[in-house]
Amino acid sequence: MNIYAYIFRRLLYVIPVILGVCAIIFLIFNVVAPDPALIILGKHATAEQVVEIRQQLGLNKPMLSQYFDIVRSAFTFDFGRSWSTKQEISEMIKAGAVPSATLSFPAFFISTILGISISLLVAFYRGSMFDKVTVVGCVTLMSVSSLAYILFGQWFFAYKLGWFEISGYDYGFPYFIPYILLPAIIWVMLSVGPDVRFYRTIMLDEIYQDYIRTARAKGLSERVILFKHVLKNAMIPIITYVVIQIPFLILGALLLESFFSIPGLGSITLNAINSSDFPVIRAMTVLSAVAYIIFSVITDVLYTLVDPRVRLS
Amino acid sequence: MNKLSLLSVLIVAVLSMVSCTKKEISSEKVLNLVVGSEVKGMDPIYSNDRYSSNETARVYESLLEYHYLRRPYQLSPNLAEAMPEVSNNGLTYTFKIRKGVKFHDDKAFPGGKGRELVAEDFVYSIKRLADPKLQGLGWWTIDGKLKGLNEWREKNTASETVNYDEVVEGVKALDSHTLQFTLVKPFPQFLYSLAMTFTSATAKEVVEFYGKEFLNHPVGTGPFILPEFKQSNRIEYVKNPNYREKTFPCDATEEFEKIAKEYCGKKLPLVEKVIVSIIKEDQPRWLNFQKGNLDFIGIPKDNFDAAVTPSNELASDLSTKGIDLLIQPSLDVTYTAFNLDLELLKNKKLRQALSLSYDVNTSNKLFYNNRALPAQSLVPPGIAGYEKDFKNSYRGHGKEDEIERAKKLLAEAGYPEGKGLKELTYDCPSSTVSRQIGEYTKQQFAKIGVKIKVVQNTWPELQKKIDTRQVEIWSIAWGADYPDAENFLQLLYGPNKVPGANGSGYNNPEFNRLYESASTMQDTPERTALYEKMTRMAAEEMPWIFGVHRQNYVLKHSWLKNYIITDFEAGTEQYLDVDVEAKKVALEKL
Amino acid sequence: MSSNVQSKSLWRHAFEQLCKDKLALTSLIIVAVYAVVAILVACGVLASDWEKSVGPSYNPPSLEHPFGLDIFGMSVWAKTLKGTEVAMSVGLVTSLISITIGVTLGALAGYFGGKIDEGIVWFYTTFTSIPYIMLVVAIAFILGKGLMTVYLALGLTSWVSLCRLIRGEVMRHKDREYVQAAGAIGGGDMRKLFIHILPNVLHIVIINFSLSFQTAIKSEVILSYLGLGVQGRPSWGIMIDDAKLELARGVWWQLAAATLAMLIVVLAFNILGDALRDALDPKLKGK
Repeated sequence: MNIYAYIFRRLLYVIPVILGVCAIIFLIFNVVAPDPALIILGKHATAEQVVEIRQQLGLNKPMLSQYFDIVRSAFTFDFGRSWSTKQEISEMIKAGAVPSATLSFPAFFISTILGISISLLVAFYRGSMFDKVTVVGCVTLMSVSSLAYILFGQWFFAYKLGWFEISGYDYGFPYFIPYILLPAIIWVMLSVGPDVRFYRTIMLDEIYQDYIRTARAKGLSERVILFKHVLKNAMIPIITYVVIQIPFLILGALLLESFFSIPGLGSITLNAINSSDFPVIRAMTVLSAVAYIIFSVITDVLYTLVDPRVRLS
Repeated sequence: MNKLSLLSVLIVAVLSMVSCTKKEISSEKVLNLVVGSEVKGMDPIYSNDRYSSNETARVYESLLEYHYLRRPYQLSPNLAEAMPEVSNNGLTYTFKIRKGVKFHDDKAFPGGKGRELVAEDFVYSIKRLADPKLQGLGWWTIDGKLKGLNEWREKNTASETVNYDEVVEGVKALDSHTLQFTLVKPFPQFLYSLAMTFTSATAKEVVEFYGKEFLNHPVGTGPFILPEFKQSNRIEYVKNPNYREKTFPCDATEEFEKIAKEYCGKKLPLVEKVIVSIIKEDQPRWLNFQKGNLDFIGIPKDNFDAAVTPSNELASDLSTKGIDLLIQPSLDVTYTAFNLDLELLKNKKLRQALSLSYDVNTSNKLFYNNRALPAQSLVPPGIAGYEKDFKNSYRGHGKEDEIERAKKLLAEAGYPEGKGLKELTYDCPSSTVSRQIGEYTKQQFAKIGVKIKVVQNTWPELQKKIDTRQVEIWSIAWGADYPDAENFLQLLYGPNKVPGANGSGYNNPEFNRLYESASTMQDTPERTALYEKMTRMAAEEMPWIFGVHRQNYVLKHSWLKNYIITDFEAGTEQYLDVDVEAKKVALEKL
Repeated sequence: MSSNVQSKSLWRHAFEQLCKDKLALTSLIIVAVYAVVAILVACGVLASDWEKSVGPSYNPPSLEHPFGLDIFGMSVWAKTLKGTEVAMSVGLVTSLISITIGVTLGALAGYFGGKIDEGIVWFYTTFTSIPYIMLVVAIAFILGKGLMTVYLALGLTSWVSLCRLIRGEVMRHKDREYVQAAGAIGGGDMRKLFIHILPNVLHIVIINFSLSFQTAIKSEVILSYLGLGVQGRPSWGIMIDDAKLELARGVWWQLAAATLAMLIVVLAFNILGDALRDALDPKLKGK
């Protein structure tokens, strides 16, 4: 089978997955969800208003057509309007994407670079005290609750010491930078641990391969081996690992955005959860599911392109 | 290591950029406000929560407003020239509209220039609130009150489009600046609804121009302008340069005379800009205030002791920074409601026993810093119907003899020492404080052997459980929509049962009769007597365990002038002033 | 039968290696201590009086109460102990649920292949596409709130990675000689799968167990923040959530106690997990 046929097949596989995702979403939000009329109407609702609202929201439509509405939204990104804010959801997503991206992409980039650098170092000094201390240090960082980091960081570093803005956001470069510094640092502290652990394992995997032994036998220095051979070959799993994380950046970091008043998709999602705003929760779910599916296709394709060992099946 | 040097260059670059973006303190008068919840757009007919109506009222105006410097609360004309003429039978209200009031400039108007406000705009806005297709959330304020309006609403429910051209008897423009309301039956509280944001003036051409996006394009007659509303972490309003000649009031009740004297006759609004930050979490809100990024802030419960000393004065570290403390009782009541549809809870003695076992003093200390007023019934102080010296005989204070009485009542109710009584479910909202109050209630009931299970819910979930009667006991609060006891007593009016506001389902024919006759009466001693009779009935029947009437505690910085705590704060920021020089000095100390 | 001998030596080797690694051994002991504390609390031996108010509201740490008191004057130490019970039970039950689902589906998919495999792969691909937090919230919506919801919400959402690993490993094993031999002497599919193959992929389960255990403990905090957590009793998550109102007034001890308690056990599980993988995963054995 040639590579194009494989990519085509892989793309085709997206369809049943999207249908499945929509089915789960439909089950959760249209079958077992509470009555939206009560969410919309508030404390002075009357029975007559409840009937009218249900009619307007299309909740009296047959189940199957409600299901296809969700499927359609996965392709058109037309999610309707929010129940609680009455805003066009696609507009909300557009507005929230920028702040989320300005926090999550730099933070993700830095933590990935940092993770790879540290793991190279510890792979170089594997088995030494330095290796052990660094790994334990990274694991300690990731063992603290994210909420504890946020509460303490905001109170101590932003308020007591005045190093950072306490909370808020400004649009446009470079105005957002002071606001994302502290949340980005917390992000890095949280994610550098798992990153280092993962990358270190991959590097060690490579180091014990036969070809490395050969290289070593040939008298190449450890540093050359590490950078020329190990890093090069470890790049494949590293890239796949990085790419597959990208869709998760879409939702941003719920808690970080909420505590630092960053008006991103994470904040929007958290608001929607707190006010049972189902169209928005549904939209965010569909959106990140579609992103995940797309990026996993990209990962798979990349993988087959760079690594001839992977069988095309 | 050239990598290291690259990194350091990067860091320096970032830091220098950051220092460049440090804002300078401008000499412009800017108000920095905060809201703790997301703002749901700027359409008056959907502004049903405090946050949205505050925002909407910066741009839109209504016929009436609450006088800024008078307590008890008193209505005064805003877009109306004067208070209305009321016919002798109490059914017709005739308003003269102020002349020369202009809508904000907007591209929806011909030539982009805002046109003059006319009486027909109010007719349109009221009909829009009644529009069955739009389902405005303030419909309850006029539902069944205006002649022919309910019929108009019903007629248009079935039809494809809503016919705004049909004349409705109840709301008519007699000429370009005269507006007449005709009521179905006398209802003096009607005037309060004309001070709410729901009934503020909107222009038909703007609504039609923007269609569904109208909620993001507020165009009113108000003191501030917001060109476009965006869901974000901050909303920035600028002063309306064409604002009509509205001046600071010169008359005031005693406590505000000083302010009136100083500002009397000054042109409103007093500031150039209003910046509203949306900060949902308590911690950043409090920290931002202390840094001087916000002009005033309500005190979160747990920062209370840090801010206020036991003698009700401000902690010294805050007062040296020039921060002031303001205290004002709020028109509200917290309560723990019983679902009276359940056979089990129809047992009056059980309800009385539970109320007696609940130590209100300790809860006041734990959750309200001992500053709230334990409620004897449902009407708060500050409005007619509240009796200062009335004591509810089932109010518990943690005393031994009260516990004994509670145990006795519980035995009489058929559950000696709680035997035979199942574990009851107690539902509360999901905030940290609500959960702690739930845990406290559990401890209290346990004293007489009654067990409860505390369950947290998001607000819509709790609302749904109440409306579908899946609740047993739950905690909730009611804040006044307008300063009249009727707004509280309706919570126990039988026909108001769910999805109305009477969540406990209390239905007492005697109470209902009293309510019906009181609600059509003008403010007279006879009506007050009826109100008092009803509050005493509620105190005997205990459909709820009455909680407390809370106090508002606000901290403000020294540079903020004229700030007064009010239960009806919509539209009041036009009276606030900022002393820019004082702010510069004070910021040094923060 | 050779397989069993082989795996036994693997286990013995792993155990010896673990004993040599002092850090891992310490971690194991810490985890054991936490488990004992949790059991003692559950039996009512420890911290049974956590609900009692023992002093003034927000009393700072003292000799008598090393972690201070909370808003109700309850001992933060007692609450931390009580929280241990919740944390350990959440970790345990959640991991058991996710292991049961992950191993069953992974083994079935890997062993039978074909349509069954395709179905299961489709199912978990669909499942992982939905963000974790949404699934958790949705499950909480459906089941209502409480400890049971925490178990199920976390358990039902964390089985996929294990399922993938098991599927791959079972695929590798099913064509091996020992499995063929077992087939030749008349073993059925189920027998081959559960008696012969599964013991050989057990190490993956063990490694995964220690990692999913600590993830569950951390996730409980987020659930508590969202108001979906344990109801009516203290947990570390609820204590940290309380701290968001307390910290600004200088009450740091509740946050410190819960964070520290969590940090130690999560760290121990992480180190243990790493050590187990190093010891059990043959791929890294050349070290």
